[in-house]
Amino acid sequence: MSQALNAQTIRFQFSGKGGEYFRIWIVNLALTIVTLGIYSAWAKVRRLQYFYRNTSLANHGFDYHGDPQAILKGRLIGVALLVLYYASESFDPTLGLVAFAVLMLIMPWLVQRSLRFKLHNSSYRGLRFGFDGTVGNAYKAFLLWPVIAYFTLGLLAAVAHQRIKAYQHGNSRYGSEGFAFNVREGKFFGIYFRLLGMVILLIIAVAVLAGVFGGMAAVFGGGMSEEGKIAAIGIAIAAAIGFYLAAFLFIGPWFAARTQNLVWNGTSLGPHGFSSSVRARDLFWIYLTNFIGILLTLGLFKPFADIRLAKYRLEHMALNAQGSLDDFLAGQQQSINAMGEETADVFDFDISF
Amino acid sequence: MRPVQVKAVYFDGQSARAHDVVLSLAGASLEVSGDSISRRDALSNLRVSELMGEAPRLIKFPDGAHCEVRDHAGLSELLAEGGHRDGLVVQLQNRWRWALAAVVIAVAAVAAGYRWGLPAVSEWIAFKLPGKALAQMGESTLSYLDQAVFSPSKLSDNRQQALQKAFVQLAVPDEIDAAHVIVFRDSPVIGANAMALPDGTIVVTDQLVSLAKHDEEILGVLAHELGHLKRRHSLRMLIQGSIVGAVLAWYVGDVSSVAAGLPTLMLQMRYSRDHEREADVYAARMLKENGISPARLADMLARLEQAHTSQTAQQKKGAEEPGFSDYFASHPDTHERIQALERN
Repeated sequence: MSQALNAQTIRFQFSGKGGEYFRIWIVNLALTIVTLGIYSAWAKVRRLQYFYRNTSLANHGFDYHGDPQAILKGRLIGVALLVLYYASESFDPTLGLVAFAVLMLIMPWLVQRSLRFKLHNSSYRGLRFGFDGTVGNAYKAFLLWPVIAYFTLGLLAAVAHQRIKAYQHGNSRYGSEGFAFNVREGKFFGIYFRLLGMVILLIIAVAVLAGVFGGMAAVFGGGMSEEGKIAAIGIAIAAAIGFYLAAFLFIGPWFAARTQNLVWNGTSLGPHGFSSSVRARDLFWIYLTNFIGILLTLGLFKPFADIRLAKYRLEHMALNAQGSLDDFLAGQQQSINAMGEETADVFDFDISF
Repeated sequence: MRPVQVKAVYFDGQSARAHDVVLSLAGASLEVSGDSISRRDALSNLRVSELMGEAPRLIKFPDGAHCEVRDHAGLSELLAEGGHRDGLVVQLQNRWRWALAAVVIAVAAVAAGYRWGLPAVSEWIAFKLPGKALAQMGESTLSYLDQAVFSPSKLSDNRQQALQKAFVQLAVPDEIDAAHVIVFRDSPVIGANAMALPDGTIVVTDQLVSLAKHDEEILGVLAHELGHLKRRHSLRMLIQGSIVGAVLAWYVGDVSSVAAGLPTLMLQMRYSRDHEREADVYAARMLKENGISPARLADMLARLEQAHTSQTAQQKKGAEEPGFSDYFASHPDTHERIQALERN
């Protein structure tokens, strides 16, 4: 298998099947319930192993090596933090705010740990990935820049996003070879400006529709009587739900597609580049049908939905190989515990690689 | 018998180089040979990954090397000959019949957890919460409601004190300690209503006071609210709602967090009815012990239902604020409740 690969595009392949994954998923779920959640750590390892091992590049698979016991420990700490947070929030809103601030303060550290754990436990062709980002830079990317973006009313959100991706991708390595991330802030601004335009258009559309219905309600409902007011509240609620649904179904897939393409097209590994060609309309269709499927089956469609999305996203990515993939060498080994990853997972930070 | 040979790809764990090799059994050992690789390891030292659909199976060596095998039939034969057995979970997840059993277990467990576990856990938490937390929750809820839907009561101080005094003088039927304060608020938006906040504050609207034809009807409503308080209904509803919301958000979170809010609302309606019945039973006991007919509460319920039928759209509003006992006509079983009270 040591044939020389000259410049060529190698697509990622995904062989996961909904039916297979459904069985793993439902057995995981039942065992997790029966063991009062303890099994969830083993379930997570099985789930990730299914996805990793079914992903292949140039005929060789990926693998996941996370230790369920380490994951269980991290998960217990995460759940404890979450319970503390909810408890303090419901006792006293100010205490909740303090807890929230403390969480935000330790979050970048958790994210850094999480990335290290996740990458260290991923492998391809027998070589582990790794992550060398420092805690200091994690604070810049996950705390400083988001805070700056917040205080500039989101104007610098594009920069914050670029910094986060640069931190994740620029500090990752495969074996001893580092990934490089070469996307400038300007490209992110391009996406964010169009995002802003879409949100404004959507707000106008929803407002016009609400106005039309509101006007009808006022005409037929007798002006500003009690019923009229109630109808107005109903229309406002419907408009808000409509806004969220539209944002979730239309803008969500568009944004996901554009950022995935931008980020991966600008990532390289040594001489090899990546390319991603996800289309917003395809993602839209997958999101929509997944959403309907999950609603109609009361959740049982979820494993099929996860497989469809993963398959689409992976199979629209490729490695632009320059020469042989045989030449990578193992990097130094680190021993890493799962606390960061699981704690961060419980709080639902999106740090997918 | 021809020995089983299985094609595989070997990686040494030090470089990404792929070696095409052949696997075969040699006694209790696995032999790997081909492409400048030749090694023999005791089967007991190897870890073989489980069968996961089409995904390659991995044989891991103690030194970090591994083999990737795509010939599933060949490997199964080889493993069977070597005496390898799949783990229990693997056997479960590779068979549809066990997967279906898992569906049944999962659905039954979720249903049982929802029907019995959730109320029990919420009740346990509700009675463990310290008084300070309750006071905080009650205060913040009342100040929110004061801003949103309430204005100061227009009832005279004398009238307010008379009602408060009449209620304090009633004997309380059970031992559970629940300090309570009755306050009055004017609220044309909400209309005739009463609600018990977690800290023991019972809010009565002016509209309810003026709707009543007899003070004993108001006392009946207050007794009903006290029943809610004693059983910490509002608190349990809040806790249940939070748990259900958290679980749903976790479950559907990444796909459809939009849909998470709707079921929570629908689910909560049911608990609310159970709690209403419990509070009615309590109120009936309390009224009878004080020589007041529970029919007073039934009369008041009928009046409230009548008053609210014209405001059907407000039913939704009642449902959005779980935990507040509401007399809105949102309960299809108001009639049934009235009958139950009249039987007393």
